Amino acid sequence: MDRHDGFREFVLARQQALMRTAYLLTGDAHLAEDLLQSVLAKVVGQWGKLSRGGSPEAYIRKSLINQYISWRRRSRPELPSADVPQHGASYDDATLDRIVLRQALARLTPRQRAVIVLRFWEDLTEAQTAEVLRCSIGNIKSQTHHALTRLRTIAPELAHLLSDAEIEEAAQ
Amino acid sequence: MTRLHRALDGIAAEAPLVNLADAAIARHRRRRLVTASLAAVATTVVIGVGGVVLATPWRMVTEPAVQTVAPTTPAVDRAVVVPDLPEGPVGRLSHAYQAKCETDCDDAEWRVVTSDGTAYRVPGALPRTADRSTVPVAISRSGRVLAYYSRKAQAHVVRDMETGAEAVSPVKVPEKKIPRGAILLVSDDGRYLVFDDPQEFDDYPGMLIDMRTGERTMLKRDFEPVTIKDGVLGLVRYLETDLWLMPVTGGGEPVRFDGVFVGFSEVAPDGRTVVALDMTGTPKKKPVLTVLDVKTGKALRKVPTPALPGDLMATVWLSETEVTVRNGAKGGQTYALDITTGKARLLADHGDLFRLTLPGQAN
Repeated sequence: MDRHDGFREFVLARQQALMRTAYLLTGDAHLAEDLLQSVLAKVVGQWGKLSRGGSPEAYIRKSLINQYISWRRRSRPELPSADVPQHGASYDDATLDRIVLRQALARLTPRQRAVIVLRFWEDLTEAQTAEVLRCSIGNIKSQTHHALTRLRTIAPELAHLLSDAEIEEAAQ
Repeated sequence: MTRLHRALDGIAAEAPLVNLADAAIARHRRRRLVTASLAAVATTVVIGVGGVVLATPWRMVTEPAVQTVAPTTPAVDRAVVVPDLPEGPVGRLSHAYQAKCETDCDDAEWRVVTSDGTAYRVPGALPRTADRSTVPVAISRSGRVLAYYSRKAQAHVVRDMETGAEAVSPVKVPEKKIPRGAILLVSDDGRYLVFDDPQEFDDYPGMLIDMRTGERTMLKRDFEPVTIKDGVLGLVRYLETDLWLMPVTGGGEPVRFDGVFVGFSEVAPDGRTVVALDMTGTPKKKPVLTVLDVKTGKALRKVPTPALPGDLMATVWLSETEVTVRNGAKGGQTYALDITTGKARLLADHGDLFRLTLPGQAN
């Protein structure tokens, strides 16, 4: 029994979920692991306070997003690990969508990508997203619009993914 | 679940399995070791310099809130042909919304609904710019004044719904300069119009327009207008959550709240409190409506609302103790919330109207 047992227990239970967020943000397995590990390393020292506060996961997620944006500001290049397949290759539609979407996400600004992940994967409201990114709701609306417009421009073949009413409304 | 969500899910599922607890603890220990070593070096340097210094021979020394309450029914029967807003008086407004256009317009149009439930098209109100940005309308907190942007005038128009009188803003705003997410507010008497661009890096700042004199007051960047009441404009800076109650003649200074707040109400009839949604700790923690002191910045009390949705936005006050709240994100329900008891009564259910705009709400 040591003083990090509580932290270990938490990481064991939640690391895969956090890793999925990190992976969606970075698009690269090694970068995602490095990002999450660096955030968790900062959390270790504050674990007692965070666990007493009752919502360490929310804090870690927020740190993950902000650390990712900070990294990207320092021009850490992202190398998409999958190319768009050549014609003739055999892929089902969902696989093709994933490959094209990964390529398109890599070309968004870090904040645009973070907004896409928070709004349309984490399903946060505009207000919650604004709180995570520490900006105004108006700014989130604007970033969401620009991100979706850019996705449509970069990858017109993804139009069917971006045509649900919920997404159309967010894009207005 | 949207198709985009499913595709993102598919990517997220490709994340590799990891086991990071021990690696993170080891990294933390290395960092602590380095920090401790640097601190020791710094201490040595300070002591050394101090020694030198000690060795030297010298030392360096209103209008009252009138909330029009709509009946608890879907606001408009879409099958009914909605007439154009006529010239002359039609009465105070309950709300506005955007509808799919039926004839002689693009693909959307603004409509207004009076407090007796009559709906009108407002063909003069531009719903979207050429590049598809939504153009807002605003209703004064009393429901008497409507403000909208006219493509023909390339300026905002303010209309008194009780007399039908219209005034065109003396400040021209080219349509292409209307940013996405623009905010519009209008005062009870229709004299002051607030038009703001929330995009941080745009070079077109927000402004307070005096419709009578044409005078413009530029709004300080980072502050977003949220209310206008009794000649005082409420401006919020979300980064640190500051509220600045700025008289329309200028002045005042921001007060800072301890926490993260959104969805601010207008100032209560007591003149010293507002209600806002405390977002601190979300999304794990449910946001809670909180009464804030605008003089000291202190949170006076939480108002738990277990029966209401979590994403609430407070707007105008109905009495000393009741404030109007609406669903912040989706759904058009508005409630009268008693801030002393937390009890809420449904005022109106507007259904899922698109771009629902209520009196006194920055939009």
